[in-house]
Amino acid sequence: MTGQPRATNTNTPTGNMIRDSALGLVPETLDHYMALNRKIWESGPLSPAEIEIARLRNARKVNCVYCKSVRYDIARADGLSEDRVAMIEDDFRDSALSQREKLILAFTDQFLNDPGGLSESLKAKLLAVFSSQELVHLSMLVAHFSGFSRCAVALGGMPASLPIMEISLPQ
Amino acid sequence: MVWVSSGNDRNATIRVLRDMAAIFDALYQSLWTQPHLPPEVLELCRLRLAQLHQCEVELQRHDCEIPTDKHNNLTHWTTHSSFSNAERACLAFTEVYAMDTQALTDELAAAVKSHFGDAGLVLLVEALGILDGMTRLSLLWQLPATTTQQTTYGLVL
Repeated sequence: MTGQPRATNTNTPTGNMIRDSALGLVPETLDHYMALNRKIWESGPLSPAEIEIARLRNARKVNCVYCKSVRYDIARADGLSEDRVAMIEDDFRDSALSQREKLILAFTDQFLNDPGGLSESLKAKLLAVFSSQELVHLSMLVAHFSGFSRCAVALGGMPASLPIMEISLPQ
Repeated sequence: MVWVSSGNDRNATIRVLRDMAAIFDALYQSLWTQPHLPPEVLELCRLRLAQLHQCEVELQRHDCEIPTDKHNNLTHWTTHSSFSNAERACLAFTEVYAMDTQALTDELAAAVKSHFGDAGLVLLVEALGILDGMTRLSLLWQLPATTTQQTTYGLVL
């Protein structure tokens, strides 16, 4: 991590947190990026709480301070309490999370740790619980959040810690 | 047919979610048409990611034409004469990004910015996030490697 951001947006502020960040320096991709983010949250078959579980697992593994501190309001409204968030740790398999939630975390870990090493056992469990649409949704959202977290880390300026912040889906 | 869907390649797999596929396609294409980083440089970084992940299907993919000598000598980019300093700056950044994003340094970022500015650095990290993610999904979905790969622009090479 670094104390100073590695890229700075000096354009006139718009009032939009994302557009005023360094990402606003590349408007050619930003609208598409934000549209994909909204589609992932609002239109896929997985619930907001399930999406948030995968997002937070990725945030902790990639160690993005911003991503770890954020809680999406739609996921909380969907029932994801801080008690359940606390279970998204390395010992999640022994937690009170549901079988579906544990498989979402196992898939996320596989993507992050060893994407080429998927076992037949985990594959069979995933296919037994999730539809094809759900598996593709899970895949795309994990890839999206991984890229977003790494983007924040790579651009630097990350504080050592932040308080938990509830936010709405950026527009 | 891959295990997650009835598709047998990336596009067919994502098309299980048709609306999301269209938005992802638009994002992916925008990486190759933006003015901040030449697509040839981005393709070198994409292929280097594929090499580091040992992902055959992504190595066979062609998103942008690059000279044969660069393609054939990409593993030797630090010393081979066909690579420019600008390309080396981006490839150095890509390698550290792939191995440990937390290990990226201000110096690696400054080297990219010296050639492509702040916007070029932002585009590179955005693109690496997407390209790294799709490479990981190609491995996780166990996409089959073939002799031809359809490009984003609908060309079969």
